[in-house]
Amino acid sequence: MTKDNMTRKKGIGRRRFLQLAGAGVLAAPFAGSFPAPAVAQGVTVRWWYHFDNPQHSPAELVAKFEKENPGIKVVAESIPWGGGNDYYTRLFAALVAGNAPDCAMVKLNNQARLVEMGVLEPLDDMLKGWNARTDITEDIWQLNKASDGKQYYLPLQYVVLYLYYRPDLFEQAGVAAPRTFDDFLKAAKALTKDGVFGFGMRGGAGGHDHWGPFVLGGGANFRKGGMVSDKALAANRWFVDLGTKEKVFPPSAPTDGFRQIIDGFKAGRTAMTIHHVGSSNEMVEALGDKVSAVPVPRGPDGNGWTSFGDESNAVFSASANKEAAFKWITFLSTAENNVTFNGFTGQLTVTTSGMADWKLHPKRFVEASEQSLAMAGVLPDSPKTADFVRTVWPTNMQRALLGQISPDDMMQAIEKHFHG
Amino acid sequence: MTSLVTAGARSRALMTPYAFLLPALVVTAAVILFPVLQTAWMSLHDFVLFRPRDVPFIGLGNFARMWDDEVFWISLGHSFLWIALVVGFQFLLGLGAALLLNESFWWRGIARSLIIVPWALPSVIIGLMWTWMYDFNVGVINDGLLRLGLISEPVAWLAQPDTAFYAVILALIWQGFPFFAVVVLAGLQTIPAELYEAAEIDGASRFQKLVYVTLPSISEVIATALLLRTIWVANSLDVILVMTGGGPGYATHTLPLYAFLKAYSGMEFGYGAALALVLTALLLVVVFIYVRRVARELSR
Repeated sequence: MTKDNMTRKKGIGRRRFLQLAGAGVLAAPFAGSFPAPAVAQGVTVRWWYHFDNPQHSPAELVAKFEKENPGIKVVAESIPWGGGNDYYTRLFAALVAGNAPDCAMVKLNNQARLVEMGVLEPLDDMLKGWNARTDITEDIWQLNKASDGKQYYLPLQYVVLYLYYRPDLFEQAGVAAPRTFDDFLKAAKALTKDGVFGFGMRGGAGGHDHWGPFVLGGGANFRKGGMVSDKALAANRWFVDLGTKEKVFPPSAPTDGFRQIIDGFKAGRTAMTIHHVGSSNEMVEALGDKVSAVPVPRGPDGNGWTSFGDESNAVFSASANKEAAFKWITFLSTAENNVTFNGFTGQLTVTTSGMADWKLHPKRFVEASEQSLAMAGVLPDSPKTADFVRTVWPTNMQRALLGQISPDDMMQAIEKHFHG
Repeated sequence: MTSLVTAGARSRALMTPYAFLLPALVVTAAVILFPVLQTAWMSLHDFVLFRPRDVPFIGLGNFARMWDDEVFWISLGHSFLWIALVVGFQFLLGLGAALLLNESFWWRGIARSLIIVPWALPSVIIGLMWTWMYDFNVGVINDGLLRLGLISEPVAWLAQPDTAFYAVILALIWQGFPFFAVVVLAGLQTIPAELYEAAEIDGASRFQKLVYVTLPSISEVIATALLLRTIWVANSLDVILVMTGGGPGYATHTLPLYAFLKAYSGMEFGYGAALALVLTALLLVVVFIYVRRVARELSR
């Protein structure tokens, strides 16, 4: 009997358990590791989550779940996000220390590390028995699969990055929303005047989302040699030139983060920027009809790339309550619960049925997201990706934008980071 | 028999102080000595947090790697500059403020309370506050300078390598000068008025009184405050982390920040531990001087 099976037999009650233990049915080591009696009356699932808005709480969903599943108690622990650093440092430390939650919200850029640590529970078998599986589209399942072919992540929400633009400024400048890199450059140059900059570029942490559409979309990739091919180097030179030669980025671009690009756009200091549906309500509140969105532009050979912003739940293999944890995370990814959840995070539901009657964001931004799905990609499933996102990309991008290193040096550094 | 009892009593008497010290020693060992030893041990390994089962012993490999690591040398250079400028200016500003607050004027009480405000604010708040003050688009500093006509277009203070470092330093000077002001003010109040009276009778000017009476009288206080502050400033990374995260490029990297980024972004705990140890070794020099001073004062 595994420990897992044992915890499922919580219904046997304390007295019966003691009788069994006394009769020597249970092996001595097990008796020592058996949870305290208070837990034996029901299963407690510890779940880690992070919401951008700390005023939001999943309490309503927890209450609903506990009502539907008597015997399972969910302890939802809000963990500070801190751009991802705080959250993952705590998660990794907790995993190494053996005090991790049963399940947690996770993103793809850390999947490879978690798989390498051997701490994720494959969900494939349990998913077979989950009816609502098909309500999540196959595209999303595929994007979330690990490189070993197993499904460790249960999709929870998503966003796709698109291009925000100011229709009013575009009209004044006599340009249309860009579809190609050339259109983009033409528009950015036309819009850069009178203290307004064509593109609010994010050079600080998280800014790889702005670089990807132009450099990965322009021909670079993460395979060996993929960052230093002629095409990749040319695409990156073109992108860096937007800042250093064309000057269509604000001078603050090298360290601008999420708040700066959003506020700069809202304040009318930039005419385009890249983000996702999560900021659309805030944009509309500030700009009304003077903001719209299109998919990011495509490269010269018609290819495009944009960041698929994923969020899933995973169950940890050290959990003593895997089945209960699985029940909780499937509950969160089921139609109406998932929609409620997205109400807290401002992202899009992974469920087809939930999407059918979507009211959380203005239609034009949801459409831009959906149209972008075709070119949405994720960063490589590698243990080195997280450090690429957090330090390698921002540091080298900033140095290139400031002229401290050449654009080619930047690409060499990225190639070296992934392939030595 | 009697001698045995005496020997027992004597050894008990000898042991008693140690028994009283024991709880404190145990706690100190648990919360300080053990983590330090663990850090030292970690620095000898290639310990990457997401590879907990593969932690090879590499001896001094991490320290050798540092030698060839450009970023380490940049960070080390910045650290020295950082300490010198921050502590130096905090002291000068603090001394000036203390001298002013030692004068009598009707709102002195309010001024003395207000000056504590920067010191009382959490570092993260200070970092965020200054980030927005320096902001390119909506920052009050750019706005003020533009209105005054001192600049013709906004400056990206935190995004330019030649301004970012000094911009962060300015924020930290502002945060820390009240410490000096309070400490120096306390020192000033211990100077006997007779000394000033005697100096006045001798015809000393204000400046001469400052140099020959005030400063020598509080030199002990100043030295202790400078040493303490050096240790704190050398260790502090929170304001930099919030304001620039070490960027743009490596423009605002200091040694503790680099160690932090290596450990918590790269999850390279081994290398991070080695970097932290180097910082500790450098600081030990300052700590040594400080402890010696304190011991000397205690033995007086």
